[in-house]
Amino acid sequence: MLEALGLEYRYQHGKKIVFPEIEIKRGQRLLISGFSGCGKTTLLSLIAGALRLQAGDIKFDSTNYSSMSSLLLDKHRADHIGYIFQTLNLIPFLSVSENIALGIRFSQSRKSKVADLNQEISRLVGSLGLEKDALNTPVSRLSVGQQQRVAAARALLGKPDLILADEPTSALDSDTTKKFLNEVMETFDSTKQAMIMVSHDASIAPYFDTVIDFNKQHA
Amino acid sequence: MLSLLLKSMRSRVIPTSLVTISLMASMVLLLSIERIQQGAEEGFNQSISGVDAIIGPRSSSIELVLYTVFHLGRPTNNITTKTVNDVKLRGDISWLVPIALGDSHKGFRVVATEPNYFEHIKYANSQPLVFSKGVAFAELSEAVLGSDVAEKLSYTVGSEIQITHGSVESIGSKHDDFSFMVTGILNKTGTPIDQAIFLDLKGYELLHLGWKSGKKIFNLDDIDLSSLPDDALIPKTVTAAFIGLKSKLTLFNFSKNIREYPKEAISAVIPGIALSELWSIVGLVDKGFQLLSWIIIAISLIAMVTLIIASLDNRKQEMTIYRANGASPKFLAMMVLCESIVIGLTAIVGAIILVTIVTYFATAQLNLALGISPSFKWISMDEIKVFSLILLAGALSSLIPASMVFRKNLHQTLS
Repeated sequence: MLEALGLEYRYQHGKKIVFPEIEIKRGQRLLISGFSGCGKTTLLSLIAGALRLQAGDIKFDSTNYSSMSSLLLDKHRADHIGYIFQTLNLIPFLSVSENIALGIRFSQSRKSKVADLNQEISRLVGSLGLEKDALNTPVSRLSVGQQQRVAAARALLGKPDLILADEPTSALDSDTTKKFLNEVMETFDSTKQAMIMVSHDASIAPYFDTVIDFNKQHA
Repeated sequence: MLSLLLKSMRSRVIPTSLVTISLMASMVLLLSIERIQQGAEEGFNQSISGVDAIIGPRSSSIELVLYTVFHLGRPTNNITTKTVNDVKLRGDISWLVPIALGDSHKGFRVVATEPNYFEHIKYANSQPLVFSKGVAFAELSEAVLGSDVAEKLSYTVGSEIQITHGSVESIGSKHDDFSFMVTGILNKTGTPIDQAIFLDLKGYELLHLGWKSGKKIFNLDDIDLSSLPDDALIPKTVTAAFIGLKSKLTLFNFSKNIREYPKEAISAVIPGIALSELWSIVGLVDKGFQLLSWIIIAISLIAMVTLIIASLDNRKQEMTIYRANGASPKFLAMMVLCESIVIGLTAIVGAIILVTIVTYFATAQLNLALGISPSFKWISMDEIKVFSLILLAGALSSLIPASMVFRKNLHQTLS
């Protein structure tokens, strides 16, 4: 589904990163581990189409990122990618449901995959272990664990092909991390979707099919 | 997008509404000034009509118009009846109505004139004076009231009134030895006529028979009115005279002749010209205010853009989440642009409502001060232009923050 070959990125301050080759198929769950500052977030930004390629190419199904305009990349991201941040995933002035609905807000194709929005939101929320009340709680009153679940629900809504998660568990304690990952992996549709998660926490490796260790690659 | 935008603005309700209020207040200022000016100008120009010239003692034309049309101030001089009669004999004159000013009744000015005043003097666009009740005076002891006088003092046809010497009521200044009976009340005109009391010149002269140099020498009760000679009640002097010409083409020739009248220093004023001269003085002050309010509007718009730019930093999280979910930079820029339009439109709607209230009261004040009541309106074409201009300026200036959002690399916001 996705192939990234020969990716390199040079920052404005001069540091250059050469990324390992990445290939991922539908149903596959890939963990990229490595200490912070090694370029994991940059790699995710490149895959999300948020950052223009400098060298190499990313092939997503039949499209090549290098041949797409920024506008097309935005649309591509809306249609095919769900993104989970490390923290601050939610817009404080929107309700939980509205935050989740943002996942399909900018994509017609993802919208069309959701027959009944409210029903789908309750299904996701239930599957991710959030209490029903959470839907009516102001975002600011949710715990970090709850917030990350809402973010996951948003990323999963409308079944995008690829879920990108940038250290989603770094603010969670180990028990909550386990629970969170269990629920996310259960909700994840392994017949249609793929997932790339970056984390410095090697202990979560058992949840993934493939692990790429950036530190080893660089060594 | 609009619902997202409104929710976002609601989360920043205090700074956003303060900026909206300041923009609204500055628009209210500009529009009230504009409306009062227009109303005053309209009222000014409608205060007299059908009169081709006003003759009076030689003085500034503005002064003459102020006291003959607006009943403001005091005439410094009079002209003799002999002169008026001379002018009346001229072939180019169609009609002449003399007036004498100086007395008052409970703060309302008295205009002593002849019954043909009501026939010749018009207002607005040649609207004739119409009696809502009764008829014009025919006897020297009769009076006609302007509509405001009748309404405020609750007088009606048949009421008896006494006149005060001069314009201020003080002890011993009352012509309390003679009463006038109201025979007619005029319809509302929205001009100083509404606040005047009209008497016959002969009645006015009779009041002053016993007076010399502003002091009462003897009482009218002490003399036998029937023993007075016929010409005793013909006033020796009047304040001014309104004139209608047979042909307007002779107007300039007429006023030149009047200026050159050998026996007395008199002048003829063309009301339209004098009013526009008067207006050019009042209007100058107004232009200054107008300039000031445009400056204030500019400041408010700058404040709005500053607010939007300042809020962008706080909204980084919001913007990043939109972008991560596939929103294009265009979407974010549109959001910023729409925010300025929402602020602008809210301010405009608020301003229209406020201005309507303000002009309503200002109109009443204007009526009280000048006796003119401008027509009351909701919104004019010119105002729509002003609003569109402000909205456009607001939208254009918000292109600055919008382009800042547009150019921001998603990666900068993602990490």
